[in-house]
Amino acid sequence: MDEFHVLAQLVLPGLTTGCVYALIALGFVLCFNVSGVVNMAQGEYVMLGGVLGAWMAIAGVPLFLVLLAVAAIGAVLGIAQERLSLAPVRRSPAFIQITVTLGVAVIMRGFALIWFGKDPLAMPGFTGDGVVTILSALVPVQTLWVWGTTAAMLLGIFWFLQFTDAGRAVRACSINVIAARLMGVNAERMTLLIFALAGGTGALAGAVITPIVLASWDAGFVYSLKGFVGAILGGLRSPTIAVAGGLGVGVAEALAAGYLSSGWKDAIVYALLLAFLLIRGGVFLSGRIGLVAGTQDR
Amino acid sequence: MISLLASRKTAMAVAAFVLLVGIYPLIFSNSYEVGIGITAGALAAGAVGFVLLLGYAHQLAVGQAGFCMVGGYSSAILCVHYGWDPFLALLFGVALSMIIAYPIAAPILRLRGFVLVMGSLAFQLILVVVAFEMEFTGGALGTYGVPRFAIFGWTLPSDQIYYYFVWACVLLTIAIGLNIDRSRIGRALKAIAISETTAGSVGIDTIKYKVQMFVISAGMASLSGSLFVHFLRAMDPTVFGFAFSLNLVIAVIIGGLMSIWGGAVGATIVTGLREGLRGLSLPLWEAVIMGGLTVFVLIAFQRGVAGNLSVWFDRFTGRRSNEVPTVVEPAGTAIPGVETEPGKAVIEVSNVTKLFGNLRAVDDVSFTVESGSITALIGPNGAGKTTLFNLIGGYQPLNEGTITYNGEPIHELIPNQIADLGIGRTFQNLQLFDNMTVLENVMCGRHRIHTAGITQISASTPQARREEEASLEAARRCLEFVGLRGAENLSAAELAFGHMRLVEIARALALEPAVLLMDEPASGLNDTETEQLAELILEISALGITILLVEHDMRLVMGLADQVVVMHHGKKIADGPPDQVRETDEVIAAYLGTEKHEAIA
Repeated sequence: MDEFHVLAQLVLPGLTTGCVYALIALGFVLCFNVSGVVNMAQGEYVMLGGVLGAWMAIAGVPLFLVLLAVAAIGAVLGIAQERLSLAPVRRSPAFIQITVTLGVAVIMRGFALIWFGKDPLAMPGFTGDGVVTILSALVPVQTLWVWGTTAAMLLGIFWFLQFTDAGRAVRACSINVIAARLMGVNAERMTLLIFALAGGTGALAGAVITPIVLASWDAGFVYSLKGFVGAILGGLRSPTIAVAGGLGVGVAEALAAGYLSSGWKDAIVYALLLAFLLIRGGVFLSGRIGLVAGTQDR
Repeated sequence: MISLLASRKTAMAVAAFVLLVGIYPLIFSNSYEVGIGITAGALAAGAVGFVLLLGYAHQLAVGQAGFCMVGGYSSAILCVHYGWDPFLALLFGVALSMIIAYPIAAPILRLRGFVLVMGSLAFQLILVVVAFEMEFTGGALGTYGVPRFAIFGWTLPSDQIYYYFVWACVLLTIAIGLNIDRSRIGRALKAIAISETTAGSVGIDTIKYKVQMFVISAGMASLSGSLFVHFLRAMDPTVFGFAFSLNLVIAVIIGGLMSIWGGAVGATIVTGLREGLRGLSLPLWEAVIMGGLTVFVLIAFQRGVAGNLSVWFDRFTGRRSNEVPTVVEPAGTAIPGVETEPGKAVIEVSNVTKLFGNLRAVDDVSFTVESGSITALIGPNGAGKTTLFNLIGGYQPLNEGTITYNGEPIHELIPNQIADLGIGRTFQNLQLFDNMTVLENVMCGRHRIHTAGITQISASTPQARREEEASLEAARRCLEFVGLRGAENLSAAELAFGHMRLVEIARALALEPAVLLMDEPASGLNDTETEQLAELILEISALGITILLVEHDMRLVMGLADQVVVMHHGKKIADGPPDQVRETDEVIAAYLGTEKHEAIA
């Protein structure tokens, strides 16, 4: 029972941070498939949601307004990023587009630093700072908010992709943009939609997790990287594996911190990523690459 | 270092570089200002390497400062704890970085989707944790008391002298970069950037050179790290954090990612900008301004500062070719031919089947191509000719059967390996590298012939230079052979369609192929051009080169081919000499149609 207690005490908080990674991973997969770009600013939306949320909460803005504003700002910024920085380089090679998203990430970090300062911001739990016992583990009440919000957002996104016309259009674009266009799908609008979705859900996740982990201007890249680890497990293709991967990363790092050392926990997650990439690159994809003769690569 | 004087433009750039670097410490001579100069130089050494990675290999790695850490810690630990000579410690760091870089890059660069970005970031963050947690690095406190830089016991007496040493290192990295730029590897990278498919068709390995650029840029990043540490005189885990990686990226983008000089120019601008913001008491705005500039430059002028300077220079000095391309009679056998062995099967296609889902695009097809012959693959649209052609070229895997070349199976090889065997090809929809001149396009075809590797090219050894000369000469002869005059220095994109076709053929001939695969060479040509093409194909055949072509133009096929293979609905329905095939009932049926849906080709 004691063993189980320790395990639960590690796994449950791991799942909580994993929720954020899962949403970022999903954002990576959706943006990559619809627009062909690995959006390096993905984690910055989470960071921004965190610092904005904390700042507004400290200023005394009511909770539901904070959440609404954070999600709306995230979505609008997502659209702005796509329109202002990516649309103009749509015809450039992919590495240029990715570098542009990196530049955008730097700008977002920079503004967060200027407006909210160097020190991490704290935010009170949505329903107090108490704790609850789940499966013999003590976790902050806020954990339930994180799980609930994440579950709601994931269900919403999957429902949207599966059962709405716009969702089907998004999936069509991610399989074959040209064919989707020929069928009358407005690919530009779908790209915008996905960037808004990724920005909004990312920012909301950032606000919801902040009572547990604090919000800091420089947290974005680490969020991006860990979310990416989740996304790459499914080859940047599968939304479901990305979500599972994100949760898995959260649990893995919590276990590494608990059983090995907290100093090494990040290194272990990254080493797993590197090992995965090295093995995958070495074994699974070393053979023939499916080139189609006579087509220009991007 | 030869490349520093290779052209008037480069020589002038070097002169400007030496002048500016030389007078800076004479004007800004206090220790703070000299320090800024050293900082800029150290960043520049890393940035030049980053140009090779980002601008040439088109790979973004945001963890490049990880290699600065390798260099920095090598210098600090070896000098402080083991009493090494700083110069040797620096070299050790560079070597160690390159050794670490190779096994990281080789597998990751095989993956599509720009995974290197995250892989390299993970690498750097692991190193940061290692630096914090391990004892040999000095943990969070770092390693202190790094000595002044020294070369084999001679300690550099002042910061001014060290400043000059740092910038001499930068010039060395630039020389290496320029050597690569004007070599078969530089051209290979430019070719890959335009189209991996086409690069493969001339025998260019699409992964090898990207890996090499990653390894070289890791070495230069390590150099940058060591140079920094001997200026700071201390090393801790935060010196080369994520921000430093970003500085490298931003410097290269602003300076110009398509120019070797861009690294040095960008590092200077970034360092100057940061100092300027500090002077204005706006240090917090650094990230916003740097990020903003990065995005702005990428959107508005991707060439960056150095690239645009180069364009202005060209415009100012009017460095344009006044020649007008013309086509003349093919000039006879000015290029090396191949010994033929009549009757010997060069390419043997046996029972080849290719499935697309349930569709048998190629269904149990067998035929042989005889040495020295012209074989034409014909059939109505959708017959599977192009698919079969792509199977032979290695562009798609086959499901069943074998394809052999001189008796050796080749159906498991990828395009560049097949080209490497001496099988050249041209494409139906022209595939030229339009970021290069016509002559450079043809020189790309020489890729497999020459052997100078990255080490020889970086150092511009006599062999590398001789090969470059030979390559130039051979490419000129190939252009002469196809009869294209006065187009050498034009951009491939500026040519008329018929001329582009000739360049493509010249490029394939530059491989010194034994077999030439031509995919609808006459498509898009007018009657005169088609006639000229027919003559050219006969000239090529006269060299002993075996030709396999897919063609719609029946006059061309019937006039040229020794053997015709007819396909219909994925199956071979006839093969033999043209006259004989023409009389076959199935062929007539397939072409003239016995059913409604079978249109005339």
